[in-house]
Amino acid sequence: MAQRRLFRFKSIHTSMALAFSCLIVGITALLTYNSYRLSASAATGNAKIYTGQLTQQVNANIQTYLDTMASISALAGSGEELEKLASLPDPQSEEGARKAASISRFFRSVVRSREDISTILFVGSNGAVVSDRAEAKFKPLDDITAQEWYRGARDSGGKVAISSSHVQHVYKREYPWVVSISRMLGRPGEAGSGVLMVDLNLNVINNLCRQIQLGQRGYVFILDPAGDLIYHPQQQLLYSRLKSEDIPSLLNSKTGLLTKGKGRDLRLYTIGTNDYGWKVVGVTYPDELVGNKGEIRNTSLLAGGLFLAVGLALSVLLSYRLANPIKRLEHLMKKVEKGDFNIRVDVESTDEIGKLSRSFNLMIGKIKDLMEQIVEEQEQKRISELKAMQAQIQPHFLYNTLDSIIWMGEMGKMQDVVRMTTALAKLFRASISKGDELVPVGTELEHIRSYLTIQHIRYKNKFTYEIELDPDILSCLTLKLVLQPLVENAIYHGLKQQAIIGHIRITGRKHDGEIELRVSDDGAGMTEGQVRELTAKLRSGEDGPGVGLPNVNQRIRLTFGEPYGLEIESEPEEGTTVILRFPEIPGEGAA
Amino acid sequence: MRRTFGWIAAALLVVLAAWKLYESISPRAEQQKPLLFVPKTVDGRSDFWRVLGMGVQTAAKEFGVQVQTVGTVAETDVDGQIALLERAIEERPRAIVLAASDYNRVVPVAKRIQAAGIPLITVDAGLNGGIAASFVATDNYEAGRKAGEAALRLLPQDATIAVVSFVKGTATSMERERGVRERLAEAPGVNVLEETYFSDGSIDKAYRIVSRLLRERPDIQGFVCLNEPTTTGAAKALQESGRAGEVKLVGFDSSTDEIDYLEADVIQAIVVQNPFNMGYLAVRAAVDAARGKRTEPVIDTGSEVITKQNLYNKENQKLLFPFDDPD
Repeated sequence: MAQRRLFRFKSIHTSMALAFSCLIVGITALLTYNSYRLSASAATGNAKIYTGQLTQQVNANIQTYLDTMASISALAGSGEELEKLASLPDPQSEEGARKAASISRFFRSVVRSREDISTILFVGSNGAVVSDRAEAKFKPLDDITAQEWYRGARDSGGKVAISSSHVQHVYKREYPWVVSISRMLGRPGEAGSGVLMVDLNLNVINNLCRQIQLGQRGYVFILDPAGDLIYHPQQQLLYSRLKSEDIPSLLNSKTGLLTKGKGRDLRLYTIGTNDYGWKVVGVTYPDELVGNKGEIRNTSLLAGGLFLAVGLALSVLLSYRLANPIKRLEHLMKKVEKGDFNIRVDVESTDEIGKLSRSFNLMIGKIKDLMEQIVEEQEQKRISELKAMQAQIQPHFLYNTLDSIIWMGEMGKMQDVVRMTTALAKLFRASISKGDELVPVGTELEHIRSYLTIQHIRYKNKFTYEIELDPDILSCLTLKLVLQPLVENAIYHGLKQQAIIGHIRITGRKHDGEIELRVSDDGAGMTEGQVRELTAKLRSGEDGPGVGLPNVNQRIRLTFGEPYGLEIESEPEEGTTVILRFPEIPGEGAA
Repeated sequence: MRRTFGWIAAALLVVLAAWKLYESISPRAEQQKPLLFVPKTVDGRSDFWRVLGMGVQTAAKEFGVQVQTVGTVAETDVDGQIALLERAIEERPRAIVLAASDYNRVVPVAKRIQAAGIPLITVDAGLNGGIAASFVATDNYEAGRKAGEAALRLLPQDATIAVVSFVKGTATSMERERGVRERLAEAPGVNVLEETYFSDGSIDKAYRIVSRLLRERPDIQGFVCLNEPTTTGAAKALQESGRAGEVKLVGFDSSTDEIDYLEADVIQAIVVQNPFNMGYLAVRAAVDAARGKRTEPVIDTGSEVITKQNLYNKENQKLLFPFDDPD
């Protein structure tokens, strides 16, 4: 769970930047590695080909040398002189010396023509020894015939024998490194036979191999068919076993390619074999032959790093550009949540975010329209309700009053009929009053006077009344027909059931910017519980049988707002006072 | 926008870190500095130092280091070598391979090399106190024992043997002599002359000493000579006395003269060192030391006993007849 939370980011911006970064890191790493690997393997391939060609070339050169030596050997052994010298019973004789001198001259001319020949030597079966040196100091004959090149030629049956590289020690105080090419002339043991040897200066081969550059550490070495080293740059290390070459596997290799070692010491052996059975082995270290491997790696790393940096910057910028408009939209939406519909998003782009913003604008516009419509409808509804309420008051009262007039007419009380009818006419005039909602308090007073006149005639002896209004407030505006229900209430609920004559008192005064009208009776009054019940009824605006007071309360509140309305004070057996409050609004004629 | 900059800065930091890492693992920086090789002599006529130099070059190529060789012409120019080393400290080579021309006098400058943090390897000739990271040389005591062993094989059990050394007081001569004498002492019947003779590294002096001994002490049946000129001088004296072969001679090191005498049976055995390996192993040790690897305090490059019989063995040919290096 904790791990999952790690990857849950609060903003699109962060997740996008992170996703992009991961992608870029991945791709960059992959590409870098791949390009490095490809170029490295290409370089390795090239190195292989190059090494192969070099080895082949060295091999060809050595082959040429050995061929040349063989043909020189053939040339030197071609004359009959050698056979004649070897046939002499005593080579030390005068004739032998003469022949030897002539042969020596011939040998000398051959050796002088070529720098790579160290010496040419003939050893006859009769003990004759002749070389290209005019006055050579030879080792004892037994030493010479015990040497490998001599035995090799004797055992190879007329074919050319090629020795491994060795120190030639036929002459005293001369120890050159050579490769000896020796050949038996005639049949071994027969008179006139002998061994002819041509020494190839090993330096020729050394230089040839040394010149070959196979990278920093690579080298070339040569093996003879027996697996002995003819040339190796580290021959001494091999002999002292500080190093080793796996010679058996080189000799047995069929493909001519071998790899040894690991990592930095991985070596590639390229083997070429010539006609004489010599193996020219090129050793390369692929690790470094890919010469610029490190450089490739570094370039790849650097490029990768740069791409990474640029990619990261771009991803951050891009995600910022994408996420920012969304953030702005979110911010505006918060405002809308709080009720501010006067908001528009400035749309510049045409992308999805732009479309979203446009839709947002449209939506907000629609909501705003709807809200206005609702407000208007509510207003309409209120007005019609008010009108309906006003209308409700009239008929009931009218029927009762008309009934009273009829009754009085039948009784012949013409005086009262006139008064009542006059009052009724006044009452209606006042209540119609051009349909305006608000009327001066004076008009309302007129109206209530007419009403009281009528009621007083109807309930004669039931109550008396007095009206005491501050003259200042007469011109102020009030909602029309608000007093009548209060008075009606006082008559019907406060006084009607009482046996004694009740008293209704209407007062009015200005107080701190509001007008307070009180309608008091000295009737039955109410208990505290009844007052609370009635107050609750007023608040809720519930409809019910006693519609008068809640109706007035509601109308005042709808017109003037919350703090205004009715308040009831009452004591049982003492009477009830209903207080009506509304703001002071000066009427037209007031000034 | 501030966060964006933060990201870019972080990315740049990553790149920078990668670059630093690459530089630190790149071997190029350390390879640019050469390794300094200071032989006892840069005189090309000395086979021993020429072959040792070949070993140095072979190793240099193999380990991919550059080697700069500086040295005095004369082996005895101790002050010259000290001055060279003083200069070398300022150039701060990657490591120094030194063949000290004096066992004691070179020690102070070697200590300064160490204090400068430059790895020091001594080759062939070491320093008093063994302050180098590695000392690559022939185990001369062991070589002396081999010489004694060869003499014992050549001589009867009650033979009288003389030891002719070269320069009195050098570590090499003392070690070789100790080896010879200790090995001979293990054969109860053998009589070794108490006195050690010193040729001072001169063929002539060795010749005179041996000639005199042959005259004065006809009972001597064998000589053990502890370096090349001494052996050559002794061989010359023996040959002229006409008692070559009868009086046995075991020598040290190789030269054309010695090989001639060996082939002529004047010398019966020589103990040879392996200077090529010495140079090679010294550079290998130096490269290791420069890379902070632990190195063996003493590396023995071994010695071989050469007789007429094994003179032309493949292995010994290389040891006795080094290739001429075209460089």
